[in-house]
Amino acid sequence: MTEPHLPPIRVEKALALLPELEALTPLRALLVSISRPDERKLWASSGPYLTLGKRGVDLDELRRRMPQAFHRIAEHIQELFKAYADALDSQQRGDAPGVVAALLRAGHLEEEGGRLTQARAWYEVALHVAEQLQDRRPEVEALRALGYVRLALGEYAEGARHFQRSLALAEGEFDQAGATAASEGLGEAALAQGQWAGTHAWYSRGLRLADAAQDAPRAGRLERQLGVLARKQHDLAAAGDYLRRARERFESAGPPDEMARVLNEQGRLDAQLGRYDAASAAYREALAWVQRAPRDAGLELSIRVNLAALDLEAGRLLEAEAELRRAEEVAIAANLIRHLAQIYTLMGRLRGAQGDETGFVFFEQAIELAKALERSVATEAQVYFAYGQFHSKLGQQEEARAYLERARELFDSLGEAVERDRADAELRRSSA
Amino acid sequence: MSLTPAHPPVSAATPRKEDVPRLRILVVAGEGGSAGGVMQNLRQWADDAQLEVDAAPDLPRAVRQLAGRRWDVVVAVLGEHPDDDLSWWVDSLRATPGGPRLIAAVQAPSMGLVLRAEKSGVLDLLSLPLRREELVRALDRLRSATGEAAIPLPAVEAHAVGPYALVGQSAAMLEVYKLLARVAGSPATVLVQGESGTGKEVVARTIHVNGPHAAGAFVAVNCAAIPENLLESELFGHEKGAFTGAITRKIGRFEQAGSGTLFLDEIADMSLALQAKILRAVQEREIERVGGSETIPIDVRLIAATNRDLKEAIKQGRFREDLYYRLAVVTIRLPTLAERGDDLFLLTAHFVGQFARRYGKQIEAISDRALELLRNHAWVGNVRELRNVIERAVIVATDRTIRAEQLPEELRGEEPALGDRPRGGLLTLAEAEARHIARVLSHTNGQIGAAAEILGIHRNTLTRKMKEYGL
Repeated sequence: MTEPHLPPIRVEKALALLPELEALTPLRALLVSISRPDERKLWASSGPYLTLGKRGVDLDELRRRMPQAFHRIAEHIQELFKAYADALDSQQRGDAPGVVAALLRAGHLEEEGGRLTQARAWYEVALHVAEQLQDRRPEVEALRALGYVRLALGEYAEGARHFQRSLALAEGEFDQAGATAASEGLGEAALAQGQWAGTHAWYSRGLRLADAAQDAPRAGRLERQLGVLARKQHDLAAAGDYLRRARERFESAGPPDEMARVLNEQGRLDAQLGRYDAASAAYREALAWVQRAPRDAGLELSIRVNLAALDLEAGRLLEAEAELRRAEEVAIAANLIRHLAQIYTLMGRLRGAQGDETGFVFFEQAIELAKALERSVATEAQVYFAYGQFHSKLGQQEEARAYLERARELFDSLGEAVERDRADAELRRSSA
Repeated sequence: MSLTPAHPPVSAATPRKEDVPRLRILVVAGEGGSAGGVMQNLRQWADDAQLEVDAAPDLPRAVRQLAGRRWDVVVAVLGEHPDDDLSWWVDSLRATPGGPRLIAAVQAPSMGLVLRAEKSGVLDLLSLPLRREELVRALDRLRSATGEAAIPLPAVEAHAVGPYALVGQSAAMLEVYKLLARVAGSPATVLVQGESGTGKEVVARTIHVNGPHAAGAFVAVNCAAIPENLLESELFGHEKGAFTGAITRKIGRFEQAGSGTLFLDEIADMSLALQAKILRAVQEREIERVGGSETIPIDVRLIAATNRDLKEAIKQGRFREDLYYRLAVVTIRLPTLAERGDDLFLLTAHFVGQFARRYGKQIEAISDRALELLRNHAWVGNVRELRNVIERAVIVATDRTIRAEQLPEELRGEEPALGDRPRGGLLTLAEAEARHIARVLSHTNGQIGAAAEILGIHRNTLTRKMKEYGL
């Protein structure tokens, strides 16, 4: 006789019982990653509207998986403590560069776990130590790490300042690799702020330095970035040239993840050119490269989301939905909440394209997810923007304007001028 | 465990070489795998077996080659992580033009891998080193697809109901029609019960269009789709600022329905608190918006639907008995697709016609093999699942006939393909047990506790067996 089996608990109910405490973040992540759709609901009329909140968590499985989660947490903390002990050890031996290296390692560990604020704290201590040194290379490295984490946190101007200082120091030290990396970082900071001329200048400078140093992987990456920039500036021919060169650099022996990134960008370019079949082929090949690379769920999701957006744009709604559902599984298993919010936003757009009012549930879920994120405002603004368009498509102009205005406010608060202008244009359209 | 025991040699009755269609095969090594041996074998057998063989060094290059021209089969040599490799291959081939079939080759495949391959619609999973007769048998199955006989699809008389239609002539459906005719004319509240995908909303719409509220709107709310914290405002509306996120005033579904019909689907998923509010609305015929103080009279006809046993839910304290009796003035129970006999063929014909028009195709027939697959499938999702399957098949159809290869992997996986083992197709006890466990786990969506309960064994025993069979 087996004991009676209770139905799984819905994620929305399970999360409602979990206080928003930092210490409980791993438990929240575990809960999300083991959630599954209820098989009985898949063909129910609510099946097409399934979101994270409506998935179920099996309590037995949660209990069974807890030790693995504890192990991972313990391992992470152990590594952090070890890095700190190594820093102390170096300190005792008077090896200041060793102190910086150990602190940076701790920061990288935090960054890998998606804990950006914590990573920033480690890097700041590392920088403080590095600033006292005669040898400037540790400082160059600390500034670079800090620059990237600032960008990831949306602190673009601060990030740019760190890269600028890093560049000046690297040039003073004749550290060509450091100067190339700093130029690339400055390009990314400029790109994030929509400063196209600056982006081009920094990437081009980085490319010249990388070529001079025969650093093929970095040169390939910079070619790809220049391709991204050209596409954003609607110079599609130039974008194609940059991407072709990047691909040539990676084709023979480049890292598979870089090849996947180039093809992902190629797909976006082809999509912008209206070449849907070519775009689809590029994304599919990109996915095949992802399989050869070390596991990178974020990269895989970026490609899958692009592929789904392409299908959506081409009116291939069934394919778009299937791809989004596959992406949803990957995002949930890897606990990539930002991507999940993006996936639900696209699901909402898809339902809007079908004239399905109940599609609003996806936007509501996306907003809820965005609010739980660090640096959530940009994601939230994107969701509100798409939510406004959804209402507009359904002829609900009052709601459309309310959501678009909210999106506009948020873009404005972030200084995202390009996005704010897009919201303005959409508002004008909806008021017309 | 050997999954590919020796088959009898290819028989002397094999058709003449020149009559056998030539197949284009791409051989690819998976991550950490080597395709050298397989390539050598295939080259040796190519002429006799009517094969044209080429190789790609890895998955990415294979994807590129597959996009370039039409291939019939991909032979993928799986590497050190065959499970991962297999799922990437299935994913990569899903949207490949021409839809080449996958043969996976692997050293000593586990039972779990065999079952996953079956479920994914893989043409065959072969042990390395390859044996000629096994490969030929798999390819023969593919070739036989071209010999499928076309069965013309009949013209179907459908009663259109908005975007949907009532189709069917089975005895079970005739009973439903009779009840519909009796109830539609009255303003009575109706409860529609039936498994997922049996057409509860179509029935609700039919009642609406044939009833006294037909001049009003038909508003459907899916109670299970909407987050619990939003359902109340969705139904009753809210005033601006009533709660965080209420950035405009919202008119609820009760008000939107006006003097029409409000269809509450999956009503058993509603919380008890909200059930009480629905009961009040039904009894008092008035509502209040969330955050509002105004009482708004309503004149809607209410139709509710559920796929659950509400009486059982009442016993468990999950559903209000008073609300049940308010809703179930008339109850209509819908049959499952399995109970509808050859309605499946009529529905297939109807959906083929509907989607062929939508996608600008001319399709007049279905192959005997495809129809057999449809008839043998356990339609958990009933008509909704069938509709989905047909829509996808119509999209990928290349001529005037829907063929087996155009059906989803899950259906094709149910063919006696990988299961086409010797011993007259009989399985060993271990194979049968592994298959059954896999089926139950699939049914419970991998939930071990629920699967153990269905199988009547302790979850530790199930976990042990899953490890043993590599599930």
